Amino acid sequence: MRTYLLRRCLYMIMILLGASMLIFFLYSLTPGDYVDNNMNLSEQRKAELREIHGLDRPIIERYINWMANIFKGDFGYSLAQQRSVIDLFQDYIWNSFLLAVVATFFTWFFAVVIGVLTAYKQYSLFDTLVMIGIFAAMSIPSFFIGLFLIKVFAVDLKLLPPGGMITTGSRAVGWEYIKDVLHHMLLPVAVMVMLGVGSLTRYFRSNMLDVIKQDYVRTARAKGLKERSVLFRHALKNAMLPAITLVGFELPGLFGGSIIIEKIFNWPGIGQLYMQSFTVRDYPLLMGFTMFIAILTVIGTLISDILYHTSDPRVRL
Amino acid sequence: MKKQQYILVVLLVIISVLTAACSSNEPNKNPEVTNSPANLDNASQKPEQTENVLVQPIAATDLSKLPDRAKQRTDTIIVGLVNPSGAFTPYFTQVGYDGNVNSVLYTPLVRIDENGLPIPALAEKWDISDDLLTYTFYLRDGLKYSDGSPMTTADVEFTWTLLHDPAYDGINDVVETKIRGGQAYKEGKADSIEGIRIIDERTIAVTLEDTNATALTVLGGAILSKAYYGKDYKFGNLDYIKTLHANPITNGPYKLEKFVPGQEVRFIANEHYVFGKPKTEYFIYKTTEGDTWQFIETGETDYGGFSATTDNIEKLKNLGFVNLIPSTASNYGYNQFNLEKEHLQDKRVRQALTYGLDRELIYVDSRQGAGSVANIPSSPILWSYTEEDINSYPHDPDKAKELLEEAGWTVGTDGIREKDGQKLKIHYLGSKSQNTDIFIAVAKENYQEIGVELVAEQFPDFNTLSAKVKSGDYDMASFSTTIISDPSQGVSRFIKGETKGYENKKIEELYAQGLATGDIEERKKVYHEMFKILNDELPVMFSSYTKSITAMNGRIEGFVLNPLSGIAYSLPNWELK
Repeated sequence: MRTYLLRRCLYMIMILLGASMLIFFLYSLTPGDYVDNNMNLSEQRKAELREIHGLDRPIIERYINWMANIFKGDFGYSLAQQRSVIDLFQDYIWNSFLLAVVATFFTWFFAVVIGVLTAYKQYSLFDTLVMIGIFAAMSIPSFFIGLFLIKVFAVDLKLLPPGGMITTGSRAVGWEYIKDVLHHMLLPVAVMVMLGVGSLTRYFRSNMLDVIKQDYVRTARAKGLKERSVLFRHALKNAMLPAITLVGFELPGLFGGSIIIEKIFNWPGIGQLYMQSFTVRDYPLLMGFTMFIAILTVIGTLISDILYHTSDPRVRL
Repeated sequence: MKKQQYILVVLLVIISVLTAACSSNEPNKNPEVTNSPANLDNASQKPEQTENVLVQPIAATDLSKLPDRAKQRTDTIIVGLVNPSGAFTPYFTQVGYDGNVNSVLYTPLVRIDENGLPIPALAEKWDISDDLLTYTFYLRDGLKYSDGSPMTTADVEFTWTLLHDPAYDGINDVVETKIRGGQAYKEGKADSIEGIRIIDERTIAVTLEDTNATALTVLGGAILSKAYYGKDYKFGNLDYIKTLHANPITNGPYKLEKFVPGQEVRFIANEHYVFGKPKTEYFIYKTTEGDTWQFIETGETDYGGFSATTDNIEKLKNLGFVNLIPSTASNYGYNQFNLEKEHLQDKRVRQALTYGLDRELIYVDSRQGAGSVANIPSSPILWSYTEEDINSYPHDPDKAKELLEEAGWTVGTDGIREKDGQKLKIHYLGSKSQNTDIFIAVAKENYQEIGVELVAEQFPDFNTLSAKVKSGDYDMASFSTTIISDPSQGVSRFIKGETKGYENKKIEELYAQGLATGDIEERKKVYHEMFKILNDELPVMFSSYTKSITAMNGRIEGFVLNPLSGIAYSLPNWELK
């Protein structure tokens, strides 16, 4: 186990190094830089600014500087936002995380329950109807379903807020504040769950179908256990095992933000910020964020491997 | 009807997402009323769309429809703003939206009135010497910053000096006014700027190296507190300012209460404001990326800008509780010609390409009236605008053909004109947007008719487009300028080789003349002459002006439209009924 971890960490560092090069060079080689973005600058001033921002240096030198700073925990300074990238992450990522973690929880919850039930009642009317519903929800584009819900619940019925995270100008604190945020979260979370629950349900359903046919499930039934206990304690636990791999992959998603959902619901998340930064070529922020996601992805896979090992003794590392 | 509305909303979002790339850099400037008609030259082709084209402002018709959310808000006005980033120090902002925030936090020495002319603000008056090189500003009595400290000419000197620091990486306007001794300070050869002279606490004079008519408003900008922003200043290092962005000390009508990133900027009335505390206690800029409809409709915001399409106007009218104010933005769109290509160096070819294009259809009709055709580099709302002696280049394929024949381009076997074995092909670059799609569809057909082949390429964002233009591999590229407050800004691209391949001594001369005098009537004459030449020579094809609609909650009184100073101009007088 220890040698495994050591080896894994070595690989991780190599992967991240490769990723950092890819990220840095891809962004630096994209046509146009931050200075180009301002049409009103004269060529002379552009040259001055490139010098101030260090954009005139050789690309290798810039890469080494960037990496050296990242090792010091400094992801750079956003040119457009005029703040350090880490500070910006602090401001925006937790909003994205809040939305994602709640949505992921409900997605998994519904996916497991529906997956188990549909597998248990395979090919029944219930199974068919649920599958039709799930596919329908998956197929509708998120911006459409989002706007539709805003139109119905916010504009027409005036039951829910049309967007944002808090009521504008609200001075609420404590419990009132939490209630306000929950109120604003309802629609975006609903849309995210609707879109995400489909594929996961299919995943759990097929896993469950495999497991239900196993001998140990038959044994459990033969022992005279209650059907519920057979399904959830014996079958589901085993059906969940492959899902551990997914948990690791969810990690970057939790922090990555959702560009479309955040845009439609005016949610102050990192996805929106990322998109804006892209249009103005704010490389420090773009590279810092992409690198951050790369790190999370690598850590996520490591976590899922370890989880797999601890929960399934058959897996040896 | 319902279904149509959904589709409309969806389309709007798609468009707003697609155009975000091009527009995100421009501040949400507040546009202005214009009565000047679009250049509808081809009367027979004029469509029947006039019913919803708004020329005059209309007041809210039915305030009883006011949503509860708005009704309950009695001491706060909320305006949507795309996305301020939190750098609330004038001259140090990079995002245009921070500029909007700063215009509420700071009042400049000199501001621009509804007609684009300078009027006193924190300076009660100014003198300009006879040689137009020395400007003397007289500050008002009793000026104070938001922390109660007095504002004096020392602050003015500090602000101007600070911007000459070599480490300064912002908008360079103040340096470009060429204050005497400014360059020496920047290069570290002098401890202070020779041309700036404090006469007393309320009087300061500044001497320039060259005459420059925009210097008055550029130098008369926002003034930073020396006691606060100058405390840690050392020549060559401005990093410390970054730590002050979040807690500004200001002198405008409102002071910053709280900035919630990605959500809102909260302001509270400034009791030290020299013109008296504003009438409404709280003001909020709410971050509304893209779609403002839902917030206007639910009363969550009080003010929003929309494209002046007939659909939008119809829908806004139906809301009943908003005042609608039509306006034209103070910029212009143009198709840049690549003048380094031989075939475009011939003026007649450029004129033919303009005559041959149905700009009315592209820029007005297909945009549902949310634009008008441009023929000069000045918006109709600026004092420099004129239509006198200006060729409006109506769509006229015959004239275009004639000009091309004259220039030696004859129709080849495949219907495309050629000269010396070279085909007349136009490689067009545009952004990836619905408007460009329309342009390409119409232009292809139009140019086919006059024997020109159009090959179009679209780009998802501005930087890739401008990189391609820089490489020189194009014939025509679509652009639009940023907001122009002085006509000189609209023509600066035609001098000093800024437009590659274009050089005109007369234009250079007139440009200098236009900046050499402060007299508006004289300047008008100069710019009209310049516009006439540019309109004839067409170094670029002028394309369009953008029209928009400002929707404002009907319970707000005291609003004055000023496209060049934004809402900050009348904000202190806004009052909730």
